[in-house]
Amino acid sequence: MLSRRALIFLGERLVLIAFTAVAVSSIVFFGVHQLPGSAFLSDRRIDPAALAAIMHHYHLDLSLWDQYKLFVAGIVHGNLGESLVNRGIPITPLLLREASVSLEVGATALIFTIGLGMVLGVIAAIKQNTWVDYLATATSVIGYSMPNFVIASVLVLLFAVYLYNWSGGVLYYEVGWEGTYGTPGQILLPAFALGFPYASIVARLTRASMLEVLRQDYVRTAKAKGLSDRIVIIRHALRNALIPVVTILGPLTIGIITGSVVIENIFGIPGLGKEFVQSILSRDYNIVIGVFTFYALAIGLANLLVDLLYTVIDPRIRY
Amino acid sequence: MATAPGVATPEEYVGDTLAREQTSLWADAWRRLKRNRLALGSAVFLVLLLVVAIISVFWTPYPIWRQGVAPTYQTPNSDFLLGADQAGRDILSRLMVGAQVSLEVGVGTQIIVAVVGVTIGLIAGYFRGWLDGIISTLINIFYGIPDLLVALILVLILGRGLDKIIFAIAVTRWMDMARLVRGQTFSLREREFVEAARASGTRPNKILSRHILPNALGPIIVQATFGIPQAILFEAFLSFLGLGVQPPTPSWGAMAADGFHAIRIAPHIVLVPAIALSLTLMAFNFLGDGLRDALDPRQKR
Repeated sequence: MLSRRALIFLGERLVLIAFTAVAVSSIVFFGVHQLPGSAFLSDRRIDPAALAAIMHHYHLDLSLWDQYKLFVAGIVHGNLGESLVNRGIPITPLLLREASVSLEVGATALIFTIGLGMVLGVIAAIKQNTWVDYLATATSVIGYSMPNFVIASVLVLLFAVYLYNWSGGVLYYEVGWEGTYGTPGQILLPAFALGFPYASIVARLTRASMLEVLRQDYVRTAKAKGLSDRIVIIRHALRNALIPVVTILGPLTIGIITGSVVIENIFGIPGLGKEFVQSILSRDYNIVIGVFTFYALAIGLANLLVDLLYTVIDPRIRY
Repeated sequence: MATAPGVATPEEYVGDTLAREQTSLWADAWRRLKRNRLALGSAVFLVLLLVVAIISVFWTPYPIWRQGVAPTYQTPNSDFLLGADQAGRDILSRLMVGAQVSLEVGVGTQIIVAVVGVTIGLIAGYFRGWLDGIISTLINIFYGIPDLLVALILVLILGRGLDKIIFAIAVTRWMDMARLVRGQTFSLREREFVEAARASGTRPNKILSRHILPNALGPIIVQATFGIPQAILFEAFLSFLGLGVQPPTPSWGAMAADGFHAIRIAPHIVLVPAIALSLTLMAFNFLGDGLRDALDPRQKR
């Protein structure tokens, strides 16, 4: 499957992603240095000599341009520097661990988004203009009109408070996070809150493109040659209806990343999103830049994955 | 839509048919919109919300910042229709001012987005060439960034005033409008009436403002209607994270965040702003759907 041309394409894209990540982190680098306040403000009674030593350690005594050169040199080697607040903690391993936590929740949310969205969309399309369709459509409008923190609040209320009271404390959801990766039960609720608004968008898209595809001649042909409805829908219609869904996977990834910033804070998940808000509030510039670099990489890789998926779904597309 | 929208009643043929054709798009759209009960209901809800927001400028049941006007965590009763929050502040009063903040953010952002997006879109779509190349690349770059997080950093750099939040959201969300107008201009510039205008020596800025813009107005209005809830959502996210409008100015997102810590003992504190926010976003989305169907019946579904 991987021809020489495909390998070249893949290589080019990976270089482009790395370049974008460096560009994004550079912009953020200059942006965050405009932020008011400093990570060392809390150390007001610090000895001037010690402060000078710290400034020197972080190269903050150099000009912005010299700092930038050191930063780029570091990033090329995969070194994002040290945390300004928790001094001496290297950022790259910290963010790698947190990224894996975010990935765990985000991937669950994504699978859930696409799964639920497509099922809702296909059902609505097959049962077009029946109450099933209206219910599915109404659900999806409600879904994308609800901010994820509202969904999270309702879920916590239902499963952590009301379920607890109703079952007399036997059956309930414990808001919290165990260890680094949590328990499967703990992942479910945040993933649902994160994915539900986007599941609605996927459902709308799937419905629209399914309706379009179901009217095509080749679907009628497939039915005419005696295939069952299920085979026609799964093997013939759904495959083409998938293309618009794949198209929005890129924006979807961005949506889940930004959504995770809120959701991880609500559920106390030790991922990139929680780190991002914390380090912004504590003015830990180096971590803010690092998180953005990770996000740029994630978005680039997601877009690459989308382009590769196109070739799987639509054999006419080749690179 | 049950009846055919294009068919006119006999009365409609009375009078100057030429003048009638001039206004028929908007009259037609209005007739179609009136038939869409969901969109009409949403419009009524939004007008009521606007009235509440305007009232809140002059009057609220209790001062919004004063703590302890009610017992803390007071559940809704006849004195405090929506209860009180953890500091004993009246939630209804704060909700009313919150509506004002949300609408200002939503509409303010879309005004900036419309001006910037339409201008950029018209230029890129009409002149094409290298100018379009640059603008398209810019649009694609902005689509590739985590918009909310960039807005967050911008708010931190600029400060937490309402105007700065509006600006920050507009900076990260102008592309939808620019891309739409660019596409519209692309197809409109090839139409005969534009060619006729060009042939008769009309200058580009007049072609854009008199011939292309009026014909792209429908989709622009629809896009702006969908953009408003997006901007409101952004502000709610920012204030939920504690980085939105400066307290004590109430914002629905911040009110929900305050209430979240006490969700076990006083769920109304988080539920009231959450429901208000969801209903408002839903109303704008339904209205947008209705407007789209009304203004471009061919594109329905």
